[in-house]
Amino acid sequence: MGTWFRRLAYLFRQSRHERELREEIEAHRALRAAHLERDGLTPQQAEEASQRAIGNVLLAREDVRDIWLGLFPMWWQDVRYGVRTLRKNALFTAVAVVTLALGIGVNTGIFTVLNGVLFRDVPAPAAHELVSIGQAVEGGQFMATAGTDTFTVSEYHAYRERARTLSGVLAHSDPRETTLGGDAPQEVFGAIVSCNYFTVLQQAPSLGRALIEQDCTPGAPPVVVLGHGIWTTTFAADPGIVGRDIELDRRRFTVIGVAADGTYGGAPMRVAYFAPLSAEPLLWPGESRFRDEKYRWLHLIGRRGDGNGLEQVRAELGVIAAQIDRQQSPRETRLTIERATRATIPSAARGAATGAAAVLMAAFGLVLLIACANVANLLLARGTGRSQEIAIRLSLGASRARVVRQLLTESLLISIAGGLLGSVLALWSFQTLVALALPAAVPPEIPAVAFDLDFSPDARVLAFALLLTLGTSLLFGLMPALQVSRPDLNRVIKQEAAGSGASRRSARLRGTLVGVQVALSMVLMISTGLLLRGLYATYTIDPGFAYRNVAFLSFGTDFGPATVVNQRLMDQVAALPGVEAVAFAAQTPLGESMMGGGVRLPGETEEQQRFAEFDQVTPGYFSLLDIPILRGRTFTDAESANAQRQEGGTRPVIISEAAARTFFGDSDPIGRTLLQASRQGGGGDTAFEIVGVAADAQLTSLGTVVPYIYEPGRPGGVLLVRSRGSFAAIASGIRALVRASDPSVAFRVLPLEGNVAWWRGVSGMVTTLGAGLGVLALVLASVGIYGVVSFAVSRRYREVGIRMALGATALDALRTILRQSLRPVAIGAVIGIIVASGVSRILSSVLFGVSPADPLGLGGAALLVFAVALAAGVMAARPVTRADLTATLRYD
Amino acid sequence: MSVADALQSPQRLMGLTNTPSDLLPGTLELLILKSLGSGPKHGYAIVEHLRVASKDMLHIGESALYPALQRLLLNGWAKAEWGVSEANRRARYYRLTPAGKKQLAGEREEFDRMVRAIQYVLDAT
Repeated sequence: MGTWFRRLAYLFRQSRHERELREEIEAHRALRAAHLERDGLTPQQAEEASQRAIGNVLLAREDVRDIWLGLFPMWWQDVRYGVRTLRKNALFTAVAVVTLALGIGVNTGIFTVLNGVLFRDVPAPAAHELVSIGQAVEGGQFMATAGTDTFTVSEYHAYRERARTLSGVLAHSDPRETTLGGDAPQEVFGAIVSCNYFTVLQQAPSLGRALIEQDCTPGAPPVVVLGHGIWTTTFAADPGIVGRDIELDRRRFTVIGVAADGTYGGAPMRVAYFAPLSAEPLLWPGESRFRDEKYRWLHLIGRRGDGNGLEQVRAELGVIAAQIDRQQSPRETRLTIERATRATIPSAARGAATGAAAVLMAAFGLVLLIACANVANLLLARGTGRSQEIAIRLSLGASRARVVRQLLTESLLISIAGGLLGSVLALWSFQTLVALALPAAVPPEIPAVAFDLDFSPDARVLAFALLLTLGTSLLFGLMPALQVSRPDLNRVIKQEAAGSGASRRSARLRGTLVGVQVALSMVLMISTGLLLRGLYATYTIDPGFAYRNVAFLSFGTDFGPATVVNQRLMDQVAALPGVEAVAFAAQTPLGESMMGGGVRLPGETEEQQRFAEFDQVTPGYFSLLDIPILRGRTFTDAESANAQRQEGGTRPVIISEAAARTFFGDSDPIGRTLLQASRQGGGGDTAFEIVGVAADAQLTSLGTVVPYIYEPGRPGGVLLVRSRGSFAAIASGIRALVRASDPSVAFRVLPLEGNVAWWRGVSGMVTTLGAGLGVLALVLASVGIYGVVSFAVSRRYREVGIRMALGATALDALRTILRQSLRPVAIGAVIGIIVASGVSRILSSVLFGVSPADPLGLGGAALLVFAVALAAGVMAARPVTRADLTATLRYD
Repeated sequence: MSVADALQSPQRLMGLTNTPSDLLPGTLELLILKSLGSGPKHGYAIVEHLRVASKDMLHIGESALYPALQRLLLNGWAKAEWGVSEANRRARYYRLTPAGKKQLAGEREEFDRMVRAIQYVLDAT
């Protein structure tokens, strides 16, 4: 290590070093001369003798240089030679560099995005010490939010108090939608956190104080720390905010501090407040997760102390988990302890998320492979042109290893230039793209979310780009280098024409590369075709309900105590000018939330239950959304008025066609019964008596039809309004009515069309990305096919000339050339179609309206690739067929 | 025998060539390390030290000495700094580093073993 450092230091001061050495040797000689004079020699003799004794100084200096530089000069020579060669072939270099820049660029870009979403550390000081703790528990009766991975309050305390390998353990809830009261009530996201939250994260508030343990004792006065973002916007960065009261879901909280800018909010978004665990009963009235021993809702993050490794933490917490298991037997806990990242993916979804990321990277990787095949082909073609130079170098005594190293150095130079260019382009363009795409990914119903994601390049991104650059240089450089450095010296130097063994070998290799390229780009293009057809389907699909001219009114989380949501509001809105129909529903069509559950037929066990979506609606719902009732009837006003959400008992329901098919097949469901097990566990079943069958409507996600069960509902949830007038007019009418009855309620009036547009937008983004990749693949593959075909043609100028001299027509010559150069294209296309049909089967399970065997997509892609290859062949061959014969014959 | 005499018959000298092939590889470095063991010296002083200590049998030429010294610098076994020699000339003084001292001890042991081994072979019947 030190040796390398000294070598490097030498490089920077080589000339000074050499000057000093000269001076030193001269001083040495002078000392020797003086010594000799003292021994009695004349100055003349002493001079001569000392000069003689010194030996070959020039050689010594060379030796010294070699000692310091080691193998470096040879490599440096390779680099300089490589740069010279590449500059001489500017066009080749430019094509190769741009091709690689595109390939490496899109991959680095998508990795930057994945890195920002999946791998980025929690934004906190010494984040490498933070570990996320998750658990999967079997046995025991539990309620859980946010899937698995969460902990109860008492489990949290057990880990926090017993863990010695961790210097602190914090807990936080999922971001919680809350109504922030005031002159203009608004919906915000907040986090409920343990009172050591700021201490463990090491992020002190920028104003006021952090939470302290007393704040977390049950019954403590309600306090919050405000988020930095909401403080600067809603509270205009008021420095006197500390000590004032704010209203969260109509409860008063005293502001004790303002979190520092960029404080982690427990999720990749900025939160408006941090409330102590003890405030949970205030924010979730009705359920007490804070006291409930069975309610899992806390995410845990620990900070490793005293340099303890992840393994030590795992071992210790595993022991604690075993203790808890023994106390609460029968129960079995499995802990997941990882370095904490800012976006925590629940362990249940981790497999799927990794799979999705892998598929995404594979698609991008294909583009890079195509780019590599392109450059390898270019190198091979050029290598054949360079065979004479290489043969001469070999015959002058260069070893094959030396020639391969030289060629690899050139590849490395190309890929470094491509990697640099690509990374710069990628980092710039993908950050812009993400900034545009992220807000569009938030459903319109959710209050404005400030994402806390960081897509700037970090060490991981740089390492990825570097690895890609070095890897590609080997991938596209090694094979051509080995191929080119193995010429048959005799033949090459005698300028023997194409057709000899070596060049046949390299022609076969080029053909294989073209085949691979065609196959890869076929796969990408067929996938793209499917995606585009999917996109078309998304835009044209009929969701099965009328969404134009429908507005919806939804309320903030605190509408419970409000007196607004009632029959009177419905009547008032119905009386507004232009309003044609009004209805309440528990779920917004294509909205942010859904409610599903298991249902079974009488006589079936709970294991046999099947999944259905639920909604509670008032009688006018179906006619308002234009969902026809196919059999039976809609609800009566009396059923709606008597509706209650208690469990048990019997209630009338309307089911969708899909549900009818799922549960009853072809038989008539009217009058039959479905059962639902108690959601809390332990209670009796709820019986649903089917009074009607409604047509299928895509209410939960666009493009998918799921079994639906509609229960009668009382006013509550979302008010749907269909009107003749403009949305703006009807919206302002509704707003005025709501404000008049209760000015403190938070609500939104939005067009239902926006929800449909959001769904289309999201699938549009996915499709645009896919289509972009496909087009890039096509462009790269076209360049590659053109390059190879035209090179193959140009190698045969003389042969063509002879054929034409012997009487072949230009057309004959063209046909021969094309037949040979298109063969690998055809083989590649066939392989591509086979692979692509497998890929498309996977894709079509994700997309809708597209069958896997999509003849238009498959045939279209194949046709496109063939057209490109044909055009390349014709364009390359044209000069040959037009060429004047004598010139062609003399061509070398 | 004086220096002048020695120079009249160069074929008697050892180590005047660029690569002192008549020494075992690495031996010259060992000898230099050893002579630096008694204190910092400049190049000529090292040569003189080796000549005197070897009872006039080792005459190291500059073209062999300086590459060897540079190898010591590269490996971090010695440090060099400019100073003034006894004759009031500018000269570069070489000083052992702790790593150099360790190297000297290790090399010395290795050399002893080697000499013993050679001795065994020569003495074998």
